[in-house]
Amino acid sequence: MQKSVGPPKRDEAYNFAYLDEQTKRMVRRALLKAVAVPGYQVPFGSREMPLARGWGTGGIQVTASVIGPDDTLKVIDQGADDTTNAVSIRRFFARVAGVATTEATGEASIIQTRHRIPEAPLRAGQILVYQVPQPEPLRKLEPKEAETRKMHAWGDYGLMHVRLYEDIARFGRVATTYSYPVLVNGRYVMSPSPIPKFDNPKLGMCAALQLFGAGREKRIYAIPPWTEVKSLDFDDHPFEVQTWDEPCALCGAADSYLDEVITDDKGSRMFVCSDSHYCEERRAAGHVGRLLGSETGQKLTGGAKE
Amino acid sequence: MTTMIAVDGVGKTFVLHNQSGIRLNVLAGASLSVEAGEAVVLSGPSGAGKSTLLRILYGNYRPTSGQVLVRHEGHLVDLVGAAPRAVLEIRRRTLGWVSQFLRVIPRISALDLVRDPLLARGIGESEATRRARDMLARMNLPESLWTLPPQTFSGGEQQRVNIARSLVDPAPVLLLDEPTASLDAANRDVVVELVEAARARGSAIVGIFHDEAVRSRVATRMVDVTSFSPRIGSAP
Amino acid sequence: MSAPLDSAAKVATGADGDAPLLTATGVTRFYGERIGCEDVSFDLWPGEVLGIVGESGSGKSTLLRCLAGLDRPTSGRIGFRDGSRVTPDIFALDEQRRRALMRTAWGIVHQNPRDGLRMGVSAGGNIGERLIDRGDRHYGNIRVAAVDWLQRVEIDPARIDDRPTQFSGGMQQRLQIARVLVSEPKLVYMDEPTGGLDVSVQARLLDLLRALVRDLGLAAIIVTHDLAVARLLTDRLMVMRRGRVVEEGLTDQVLDDPQHPYTQLLTASVLAA
Repeated sequence: MQKSVGPPKRDEAYNFAYLDEQTKRMVRRALLKAVAVPGYQVPFGSREMPLARGWGTGGIQVTASVIGPDDTLKVIDQGADDTTNAVSIRRFFARVAGVATTEATGEASIIQTRHRIPEAPLRAGQILVYQVPQPEPLRKLEPKEAETRKMHAWGDYGLMHVRLYEDIARFGRVATTYSYPVLVNGRYVMSPSPIPKFDNPKLGMCAALQLFGAGREKRIYAIPPWTEVKSLDFDDHPFEVQTWDEPCALCGAADSYLDEVITDDKGSRMFVCSDSHYCEERRAAGHVGRLLGSETGQKLTGGAKE
Repeated sequence: MTTMIAVDGVGKTFVLHNQSGIRLNVLAGASLSVEAGEAVVLSGPSGAGKSTLLRILYGNYRPTSGQVLVRHEGHLVDLVGAAPRAVLEIRRRTLGWVSQFLRVIPRISALDLVRDPLLARGIGESEATRRARDMLARMNLPESLWTLPPQTFSGGEQQRVNIARSLVDPAPVLLLDEPTASLDAANRDVVVELVEAARARGSAIVGIFHDEAVRSRVATRMVDVTSFSPRIGSAP
Repeated sequence: MSAPLDSAAKVATGADGDAPLLTATGVTRFYGERIGCEDVSFDLWPGEVLGIVGESGSGKSTLLRCLAGLDRPTSGRIGFRDGSRVTPDIFALDEQRRRALMRTAWGIVHQNPRDGLRMGVSAGGNIGERLIDRGDRHYGNIRVAAVDWLQRVEIDPARIDDRPTQFSGGMQQRLQIARVLVSEPKLVYMDEPTGGLDVSVQARLLDLLRALVRDLGLAAIIVTHDLAVARLLTDRLMVMRRGRVVEEGLTDQVLDDPQHPYTQLLTASVLAA
């Protein structure tokens, strides 16, 4: 599998990175405000993109506004670099911006993501761009926009804890496993987009800049580097991340977020890293999981290509 | 002698706005002063204003003119124009109203109803319970009923609970609105004894009794309210 | 009479009773040209229960909304005192501080429980919200308080995790009361608290309200068109007509010896108590 692709030739029929310069400036102004007020949702004039809203148009507009010809782009969807959505977005930017693309987390200067944070620690100078379907963490609890804006303005977040209370009452613990609400910089409650709560601890004190774009909902927000991010909880029910009883079946990692994979129609299953690049790197470094090399394992790693 | 309750120049005119503005002049220039340890029984024919005067003394009817003075915690206070909360406080501590009608409070037992005024005046739980039980026994209320809420009781039983409640810890000023009406002779005697005991302890009593025998036993003084009637009974 | 006369205002009314809790001064609310309520002034003292009666359209609900901080008066002031903390006019506060006051100092029991409850949140969550708003972050403690309050409003604690949609109208109303009272407000506003309930259910609710108001020493303002409710629950009454207070006084005075033609009309249509 090809890991990195050098800069291809840009399609000159489009403006650089597809959006016109005025639009990019508008988005950048929103981004600057978002960085200045961590966790605050900044409205922006979301544009029509060449794919349907709800498919990552917010993230794409943010990426298009911050990307330059020298950037290297990585795109992941649920942790994987090779799903249709990730591949399409990567190709899109290769064509309209002529930028280099990569699957290697460490090599990327911009990482656009849907629903995951890479396992490998991010470094200063990197930008993580999230695709956000629903930016409003209070929306399910309070349908009125005017009211949720007031709640944010006044730090009136009791309702969020009511949601957690309801979870504990019904399931004995906070059953929310993704989009787990966080308090950013001690001020704004923010939806981390539908990342698993496993990734929540990576949001805080992160070296990289994190930008969030919701195209359909026309909102941008951000977590600047080294910002405190706290997952909401109760004193007697502290925040916890998911754990698994077994390590990754392919690379043996015990510290990563695992996807459950059904391997045959008899119900056999295994757990493998959701972050495909992380898993590959570990295998390349010689780590061996329970099923690596087996027939099922080979199917998942793309056969005996390597 | 200590004046406990007094009216001075009290008049009362009812204006019935919805019956072409008829004016009913019931009282004019009523003046009466009752000392501690006195029992004044109001007399006079039906419609002479006995009940109106008694209600004015309680602050229930607002007089058209004059003052209604009550000695509350050592001071004479005018009920006319007093703030509602002041009137309520005076009723709570100083003015007792005893009638034959029990305002039934659902789901509160007879015993608790009688205990309530004692507890409200800061008497301890066990002492209050003992006195309430004594009182109910004295009013000949069957013990099996004590722990039940009185709304299912007969009219006579409710009346006796009410009297027990009103007289278990008699207020410094007691206003009696025919409390013995429709009681049998034995219970009537008990009520008369209780009223007599309250008076002996220094309560000032103003009452209306239809029963001639009760009236003469209770009263230390009779006041005929016809003397408070306006010369013209009613005028358009 | 020559006896010395003391001012009635000096009558002691117990601890904490030396200053009004709520002071309304000239409260007026217009809706365009139409009068909601006009020039209403009164003091409410700690522990007092004030009834506002009148027929529909008399302005009593408008007045309640103003007093409770839900609706800004066109003119006039609403002052509130919480111990030594005095707010000369709740509408002079910014909305954030007013909302904070509304959540801690007083509560509102709406006529329709749907306006006062979160129908998608369990009974326990509904009660717990006020504690969470106050800053409680201990699940176990919130749970204990919720169970306690369900019992106090006579709802089976086993139903703590049921949603209000599964409750009867009377239970919903009792749950709303628990939600309001759990945070120990000084003052409760009630808008036709028994409206829309069966008579037998009304009686039980009234009885409960009476006991709670007495036991907690709450001040309350109750809007009702039902004079029997007013007689049972309130110490004082204000009678409203066409946006104005036409008569006020002790509840039994106003009902037994009504002075204003309108009050006489109101009381004449009710059976004697």
